Amino acid sequence: MADKVVATKDLVKWYGKSVLALNKVTFEIDEGDFFVLIGPSGCGKSTLLKVMSGILDYDEGQLFIKGSDMKNVPPHKRDVSMMLETYALFPHMNVFNNVAFGLKMLGKDASEIEREVKESLELVGLGGFEKRSPLELSGGQRQRVALARALVIKPSVLLLDEPLSHVDYMLQRKLMEDLKTLHKKIGNTFVLTTHVQEHGLSLADTMMVMNTGVIEQIGRPDQIYSTPRTVFAARFVGDINLFSGEVTSRQGDTYFVKTEWGELKASSKEGPDIVGKKLAYGIRPKFIKVNDEALSLANQFKSKFSGYYYFGDAVECLFEIVDGITVKASMAPEAVFNLKLGESYTIGWNPADAKLIEKPSVIEGLDIEEVIYGK
Amino acid sequence: MVAMSLYTPVGLGYLPVLTVVNYVNFFTSPQAPIILVNTFGTILLACVITLIFGYPFAYFLTFHINSEKAKTYIISLLMVPFLIDWTIRSVAWFSILGEGGIINYALMVMGAIRQPMTLLFTRNALYIIWVQTNLLFMIFPIHLALNRIDRDIINAAKVLKAPPHKVFYNIVFKLSLPGVITGFIFVFVSTLGDAVTPGLWAGGLQVLGLSVSTYASNFLWPQSAALAIVLLVIALAVLYVLLKIVDIKKLIYE
Repeated sequence: MADKVVATKDLVKWYGKSVLALNKVTFEIDEGDFFVLIGPSGCGKSTLLKVMSGILDYDEGQLFIKGSDMKNVPPHKRDVSMMLETYALFPHMNVFNNVAFGLKMLGKDASEIEREVKESLELVGLGGFEKRSPLELSGGQRQRVALARALVIKPSVLLLDEPLSHVDYMLQRKLMEDLKTLHKKIGNTFVLTTHVQEHGLSLADTMMVMNTGVIEQIGRPDQIYSTPRTVFAARFVGDINLFSGEVTSRQGDTYFVKTEWGELKASSKEGPDIVGKKLAYGIRPKFIKVNDEALSLANQFKSKFSGYYYFGDAVECLFEIVDGITVKASMAPEAVFNLKLGESYTIGWNPADAKLIEKPSVIEGLDIEEVIYGK
Repeated sequence: MVAMSLYTPVGLGYLPVLTVVNYVNFFTSPQAPIILVNTFGTILLACVITLIFGYPFAYFLTFHINSEKAKTYIISLLMVPFLIDWTIRSVAWFSILGEGGIINYALMVMGAIRQPMTLLFTRNALYIIWVQTNLLFMIFPIHLALNRIDRDIINAAKVLKAPPHKVFYNIVFKLSLPGVITGFIFVFVSTLGDAVTPGLWAGGLQVLGLSVSTYASNFLWPQSAALAIVLLVIALAVLYVLLKIVDIKKLIYE
């Protein structure tokens, strides 16, 4: 634990008497990592960030930053900085004094402060904005002031609470690039929260998926994407078609999974013996083939082309196999061109691309159907 | 009234002839400095004392009482004295400040004093009464200003390495300044308009308001009007200065 920049053990936090925001959360962050916390609203990621910064106290468990126990250590004594979701710029100070605030509190002298603040503002692209009032700035500019203000005190750990959430798409992309660049340049540890999985996938060195106060999975983005350990993680990271079923038998390289609408095949090259288990069968939209391409594949079904969502680069097509069971397929626009809504087409996929996930969620007692289809 | 103040007093009446003799007479009279100092000195001191008691109360109410119900309850309690008629409230002062009153009784029982203090009809009575009467006018604007402060800003300051006392001074106090000034002005105006309390409870302290009403009750209109104008002008000057402080804050803000 001592060599990790952040470590927690069984962290518990209650809001009042009935809301358990953090439920025995245990994890570690490597120094210099770009660590992304993702999860739906209410999963505890903002709470965790606030507990790490010291703004909120925790009820049980341990929190270590750079090896020191943070129990009863107030925020101004932690080697941590934070960019809050609401930015929280000081309205009665101009940009310069906002950014300089932390340095003033640390007792730096005036010439050093002047130099560092100018440098920090240049770094976020706001050179020359020193005399402006926060009230005159646009949302994106305010955010960058908040970022400069947090960075200028050179913390070991920089916490960013939903920095991409209140910002338009173009700015999101730019901000993600800027954050990645800054992180490489400065080299300290970034911890960022978001509820959008694409942000996590593109920014993270390590990703942590949270769900109502517990950790569903931690790992590299590509690891979580290719091997989700729970249905929740599979659903939250990358799009996926999920069906609940039971493994009826295993023959050679193939598992046979019976669902209420048909029998699905999945690869079993080195898999454990899970015959008889109830689980979730998952197949990502990009692996679904249509028509000619589907004819050679082991999983084949007749379906009705029932709808589509156009995304520019790709089209998400909906194929209805039976009433209520729809498979999402991600296809190139050219391929969709020849398809007609309402017509019947064959869809198929390779058993090797399928995922079998036994655990609905790290949270005990959840029904797999609930996690698959949502409550 | 301005016109009246410039008329010439003749015996017990006046002539509508413009003159500044009323003002001159006042400012050259030996009592003038005493009256002015009494009036504005006591008022300003009362405002400051009210601020000293009011700010911590407002702070506590805003930040340390978390249930809305409790907050409302406390504010209602503060308003209770206003539900009681002024004259009856005045009678209450006898039993609080008098020689056999509660304050003296408590102090004697605690052994802090051996003989009852004379509180009634002294300057101290004036301060006690004025502060008590006006405390709500100070607490409320400050509470409103403090309440408006975004808690996230306070959190941000903490994470930016500000220890609690610096968080208070740099962030909370500075952002509550408009509320402080407002409260100060409320109490100032309220005490200014109260010519009765000094006369009745503070032993007939020589105060401008008292002079105004004395002249008026003797039908000496020009003199009375002149003093009233003096009162008004000085009060406006003080208000102007106070408002400038908030303005300057906004213009020169850091």
